[in-house]
Formats: sequence, C-alpha cells, structure tokens
Amino acid sequence: MKLWTRREDARLLTGHGRYVADLVVPGCLDAAFVRSRVAHGLIREVDCSAAREVPGVVGAWSAADLSELPVCANEAAHLQDLPPVPRTMLAKLSTEDAVNGREWPSLAKDRVRYAGEAVAVVLGEDRYRAEDGAAEVTYRIDPLPAVVTPAAGAADSVSLFDGLSNVAFRGTAGEPIEEVVWRRAAAVVEARYRQQLLLPTPMECRTILAVPEDGRLTVWSGHQMPHRLRLELAKSLGWPAERVRVVVPDTGGAFGSKSATFPEYVAVVFLAVKLGRPVRWIEDRMESMSVATRGRGQDQRVRLAADEDGRLLAYELEIDADVGAYPHLGVGLPMQTAWMATGPYMTPRVHATVRSVLTNTMVTYPYRGAGRPEATAALERSMDVLARRLGLDPAELRRRNLIPPESFPYQTPTGRRYDSGNYAAALELALETIGYDAWRAEQARRRARPDALPLGIGLACYVERSGGEPGGLHDFAGVEADEDGAIIAHCGAASSGQSHETTFPALVARTLGVDEYRVRLVEGDTDAQPEGLGSFASRSAQVDGAALQNAALLFAERARERAAELWGVPVEEVEWSGGTLYPVRDGSAGMDLTELVKATGPLRVHERFESGMGFPFGAHAAVAEIDTELGVVRVLRLVAVDDSGVVLDPAVVRGQAFGSAVQGIGQALYEGIPYGEDGVPLMANGLLDYLVPTASEIPPIEIKDTCTPSPSTPLGAKGAGESGCIGSPAAIVNAVADALQIADPDLLQMPLTPDVVWRAARAPKYEEA
Amino acid sequence: MNITLTVNGDDYPLDVEPRRVLADALREDCGLTGTHLGCEHGVCGACTVLVDGEAVRACLMLAVQCDGAAVRTVEGLAGPDGEPHPLQRAFSAEHALQCGFCTPGFLMIAAGALESIGDDPELVDRLVESNICRCTGYEPIRRAIMRAATDCPPASDRSPTSEGS
Ligand code: FES
Ligand code: FES
Repeated sequence: MKLWTRREDARLLTGHGRYVADLVVPGCLDAAFVRSRVAHGLIREVDCSAAREVPGVVGAWSAADLSELPVCANEAAHLQDLPPVPRTMLAKLSTEDAVNGREWPSLAKDRVRYAGEAVAVVLGEDRYRAEDGAAEVTYRIDPLPAVVTPAAGAADSVSLFDGLSNVAFRGTAGEPIEEVVWRRAAAVVEARYRQQLLLPTPMECRTILAVPEDGRLTVWSGHQMPHRLRLELAKSLGWPAERVRVVVPDTGGAFGSKSATFPEYVAVVFLAVKLGRPVRWIEDRMESMSVATRGRGQDQRVRLAADEDGRLLAYELEIDADVGAYPHLGVGLPMQTAWMATGPYMTPRVHATVRSVLTNTMVTYPYRGAGRPEATAALERSMDVLARRLGLDPAELRRRNLIPPESFPYQTPTGRRYDSGNYAAALELALETIGYDAWRAEQARRRARPDALPLGIGLACYVERSGGEPGGLHDFAGVEADEDGAIIAHCGAASSGQSHETTFPALVARTLGVDEYRVRLVEGDTDAQPEGLGSFASRSAQVDGAALQNAALLFAERARERAAELWGVPVEEVEWSGGTLYPVRDGSAGMDLTELVKATGPLRVHERFESGMGFPFGAHAAVAEIDTELGVVRVLRLVAVDDSGVVLDPAVVRGQAFGSAVQGIGQALYEGIPYGEDGVPLMANGLLDYLVPTASEIPPIEIKDTCTPSPSTPLGAKGAGESGCIGSPAAIVNAVADALQIADPDLLQMPLTPDVVWRAARAPKYEEA
Repeated sequence: MNITLTVNGDDYPLDVEPRRVLADALREDCGLTGTHLGCEHGVCGACTVLVDGEAVRACLMLAVQCDGAAVRTVEGLAGPDGEPHPLQRAFSAEHALQCGFCTPGFLMIAAGALESIGDDPELVDRLVESNICRCTGYEPIRRAIMRAATDCPPASDRSPTSEGS
C-alpha cells in the first residue's frame, strides 16, 4: 500500500527535504552583499576596511578590491577581474545589439542603475558575521535623476548608459494596418493598459552554494536550468563546461524566476574559486524584494476594430516595456506578447510593436506566464469594451470570432502557427460551469435595485505558447537498466515543485508496461545527465515527457534486439511485455529484463528529442461584486477551463492550475511594486507591503479541462501550469469593469486596489458617456 | 549564553549569542533543517514551530527565550515508530504541497491546533490564513487539515489505513 501520493512527499512532509540552505559543507562561508540605497548614481567611494576588522569576517571587497585579490587556487590563475553578468541567449530574451556597450558588472563599479545593486560583498564564517561586516562597509554615491517609467526612459532626458539611448530593443510582429481599415470599421476601441511589475515570490528565495574541489567546481542551486547555469558559469571562469557540475536539490518554487545566472551567482562562484573555499549565498526576503527579477512591466496602447456584426477587422498593440536597468536577461521578452497578440481570434490584421526601455528598476524577466498574460489582458479587456460598444453580449462577440477547430494548424498574422484547439468548447464549458445566464439575470436584478451591490461577469479566452522557441524546443532524455533490473529515467528538466519524481517514472513505467516503482528519475545533476535544457516555458511534460516516452520506446526496442541476438532469432520474433521478453514462436517462458541485463550488460538509451511548439488554451470566467463605499472587490466565483492537451497526472496539473489562478488573482487585485520618484521600491515592510494572496483572499475556484492533443509530439501534451496567470487577471478585471459599467477602460489599472476601485466607481458610466 | 533546547524530546545543550534566532539555532546548531525561512520577518509562517505547545514564528523568537522549553518541529511530527502523523498523510493525499517549502510551517501551525479544531471549518480557515503558500492556492491545504481533523483525530493512535494512497 502506497503511503504517499507523491514520491517527493516522503521527505518534504517529514522535514527531510534538502534545499540548498539545508546542505552542510564544512568550512563554508556565507556571502552578504552591500547594496545601494539609491537607484541611480555615480559611485565615488566604497570602503570595506572597517568590515575586514569585524570578528568572523573573512574578507570584504568592492569591485575595485576584487581585481587585487591574490590568487589562492591555481586553477584561477588567469581569472583577474570579476566577470560580468552573462546575457540570456535563449528564446531571444536578449540580443547582442542590446547588450553591446552596456555591461552589467556583477558588482557595480562606477555607477549603480537600480536600488539594491550590489557595490560590495562580504564573506563571513556564518551569515551573522557576514552581515555584521556588511553593516560596516561605507560608500558614497552621488545620485543622478532616476528613470522610473518606460515613458520617462524613452524620453532619453536621462541616459542609463552614456551616449546610448534607453530604448534598448525594438521589435514588431505582423504588418502595419492602413488607416482606412480603422476609418471604415463600425466600431473601434482604443485603450491604454498598464501591466504592472510583479514579484514572482517563490517561498524559497534564490540560493547558490559553490564548492571548489580537485580542480572542479560543484554548484548547488535552486534552479530551473542547471545546464545553462553550468555553461554560463564555466564560460565566466574561462573553463570547459565539464569542470563545473551543477546540482539542483529540492527547490522551493521558481515560477520562471530561477532560470538565469544572476550577478550574485557570478560573484559567489568567483570568490569560491579565487579563495579555494566553499561559499554560499542564501538570499533573504527583503533582499529578494529589492533585487530579484520582476515580471510583466508593460504600458500598452491598443486599437481594436470590428464590423457591425462584431467580426474583428484589425487589432493593433503598442508596447512600451519596462525592462529594468540592464538588457541582459529580458530585453526581448515583450516579443512573447507581440507574437501572441492575435490571441484566439480570426482577426485578419494584427500588428504589434515593442519598445523595450531601460529604467532604474531591477531587471524584468519571465514570471509565470511571461508575456502571455500581458497579451491576453490587453486583448480580452478590449473585447469586453468592444462588445459593449456594439451592444453584443461579450460571450457572443467571442463566439463569432474564435478560430474554429477545423482551421488548425492556424497561421496567425503575428507569426505563430497554432497547433490544435477547440476554443469554443472551452468557452462554452466555462460559461456553463459558472452559470453564465443565471449570473446575467442576477446582474439585471441588481441593476434594477439602486441599493444592491453592483455585480459583474468577466470572461477571458486565451491561447498561449509552451515548449520554447525554435532552437530551444528539444531536450535530452534517457532510460537505463542496470544489472539489478532497476530502471532509471534521465532527463534535462529540473523540478521546483512540479512532481517530476512521481509523474515521469509513472510515464516511463506506463510506456514500458512495468510497475511504477521499478522506475526512478534522475534529473537536475549535470554530471548524471550531461546535456539538458531545463524546466521553463511550461515545457517539462510537453518536451521532457515526450522525450522520456520516446526513450522508453527505444529502450524496449533495444531490449528486443538484444534478446533476439541472444536467442538467435529475428527481432520480429521477440516480444516485449511488462518488462519481460518473450520468443513469439516457441511459447517458452520469457526472460525478464533483469536476466537480460545480467546476460548482456547494462542497457542504456539516451536521445535528443525535438518537440514542436504547443499552444495550450482555455477560457476563464469570473463573477465579482463591488462594495462601492469601500472600493473592495469581492470575487464570488472563478472558473478556469484549460486545455493542456494530453495530461500526465490530472491531480498535479489541477493543483498547478489552481495555484496559478491564485497568482492571477494576486495580479488582478493585490500585487504591485510601488516606486518612489527616486526609483526606490516602497516596500520597507516586506511582505506586508507586497500583498501575495493569503487564504482569506481565495474565492470559490473551479478548475475544469478539455483535451485537444497536440500534434507536435507523439505524447500530445501541451504546457500546463501558467494558465491561471494568463486567463484569470483579465477575467477578474472584466468582471469589475462590467459591474461598474465604466465608460473609460483606462481607469481600471491593475492591481485593482480599493483606491482604484473607489475612484472608478465614481467615474462616468458608459450609458451616461 | 549556554542554553538547552529540548527539541522533539531530545536535549540540545547550546552556546548561542543572545541575538541568535530560534530558527537558526534549530537549523544550524541542532541540524534540524525541516524548519524553513521564507521571509525572516514574521509574515510567511514557513518557520512555524511549537514552543511548549504554542505555534510561534521561529524567525521572530530568540533561541535564548526557549531555554528549557519544549520545542516541536516537523521532524518530530511522525510517531516514534515513524508512523506518519495524520496531517502528513492528509497533506499528501490532498496534494497540499507542491514545492514543499511552506509545508513544515503549515503542518506545525495545524498540529498545534488540531485537537481544538473538531470539525469547525472556520477555525481551519483562520489557521490557513496565517501562513503563505505560493504554489497550491491554499484550498488543498484547507482540505488536508479538515481531513486530518475529522478523519484522524490525533488522540486515537490509529494504524495505517489505505486513505491517502
Ligand atoms: S520566515 Fe518566519 S514568518 Fe516567514
Ligand atoms: S508548496 Fe510551494 S510554497 Fe507552498
């Protein structure tokens, strides 16, 4: 009898999980960073001398001090200066052009460009000593005016990099739309939306532990892409990749935010190698809130046109993206929004333009949804305004425009080729589940009674992309059997809470027809699995799942070949069934895999597997009532219908959909980073200022699914887990707009705090406009 | 300062600085890393442990304050024979954890109150509202605590059942 639902549970529920901060390495030093209190300024002086006198402090360095650091370890002899932060090459998240002339030093040298940027690092015998030392470091920074919004940045009156524009990247998707299209349309909606900056906030902050040993370096990190981290760190050190081993132990959530090589990681690794001692950095929450990567951050301007029957004619989306102070990690990220601008509709003309602007804020990087929530929110909010303008029910307007099932694969005007879908089915299921007609009746009833709280119903249809971008749609997987007959599955993914240890062995076991517990998963260790891409873009099931299925099928094939050779029969006469090989003809007893391996040696299959892009989709619906006196939004119901193609483990996927919907509620109603004019985030009270939803903010949420397999892999899985962040914010804001009947959509910008809602409740309504 | 922490029934004589927080003493000095730090400023509750039966934020309490006190951490939740606590079974059964980082805090805050919950869903709501989980959306945690409170009262030392498999 199985004691635990997931294999992970046995250790995670008993206090025996191993996160990086739990690892004990004798003699390990703790790093603490000294961080700039100003967002933009010129560094005049950093003085670490007092810090070095603090008992238990092993060293304290500014960027300038580090180049004078004597070399203790031979292998670091050529390492003079602290290497800069590498750029993201994957998925066009950064470009050569954008980073040229804009170096991101791992410790700021001459200038700081965001509040919290590190100007010195202190190593102590433990965290207490390191922080004692950090408190003694003094610095002088002459402040420069800070650029806090994309609009201010684009004006270029203050440059973050002398002689270079703050506009670090421009991109387009689709063709420009002629004026005549707008002129002739029956209705044109124009609006501006702000997709606020968010903190991904995994409950475990960032972690790294670097252990130099025997000319190699082992790096432990809570990370989504161990192989990328290995490659980038090795490059920074000027080492071949094989000299670095990255191991990902238990990871306390990531949501996209733990897949890069961050400045602190470079500094820690550099110091570990230079000193020849283990060094770790365990980020704390206050630090994370000021310097971990942010998500979203777009100012959008849209135009949406339709004919009198509500058929969409054209959609235009202009994005000014706030990409933060350095273009290295996410300058190209807003293109994910541009490429997905078409959404789930048959709009013939779609044009999206991106301007990525540097500002004095910490860098923007993928956060759960990564570009698709921004695309969905802009389009879906505009759809609701359009429906009102045309006097159509918002559900009906969507029905008339959704791409029909027979049109797949569907080539969008913004360059995507959607794989498969039945968008209308998802919408109908969402309407039915929430009880759409009954809520409309309730709304009418309340509108007739002036004392009733206004109630609104909001919809959002979405389509998103999973798996990655061309060039990054593959991964590596293997299936092995050793002489004891145990089956080991390998893949390049890395779990940060997605139950890989349970679901992947189950998939391999299903494919091979063996007992689930005969299969064990190895991932997240670059020595055990030399090549891999990782877990991002909702790709683990879609790409690694399909890769494992493929490897398992090949494994059974190889086993048959071996048995055929052993028995001297053609391979067609050997059957694989439930882990045993049978000669088809003579009907004799079969040979178990264990015996085969004993007789012929270990059997190993390792393969690179290429997936296509997946396009998960769905429809979310929300009902909200508003206390107009207090400006409080009460979400009464939230329904999320998602289609992730073939699902490996329904309970796991439902769990992620639920958690993701709650993060979507967070964006819609609570989360945001207020910045002062000086560019310093106003979050002195930590998680009391940045409001991630707690259990008291959770409405009744119902998760449903439809299943349209993806033709992109034989497994048919599409990405899962990001849907709630994509569909729910727009549905909730639409519900509030519907309740308040506001004429000007621009008045409702997320998060819908009581202040925003109270004001919107007093603004002109659309009948009166 | 010399103190003795009694953690899960074992004595740990320690020499700690007065400023050392309980969570660090448990994690670094006692080697009990099941207690996690998610914010270090008292909001998230990942560090929740029981001190003399009361749930406390171990990041807001000094180790010296617990001299002589009985501390219970997630490592001490299972029975002496290793039999999982009803809460551990229920959390697994209800998928009340994903990454598991917040989990010890939720388990301990529930363990401290389990016997007084009875089948009062409001009390369970209040408990779940005390801590932060970024993965699950809370509903599975609420269900798990309800399940443990109603199905498996901790007083009755039940043998393993098939529930939760
Ligand atoms: S770590 Fe103690 S409450 Fe968050
Ligand atoms: S399970 Fe990850 S934070 Fe709760």
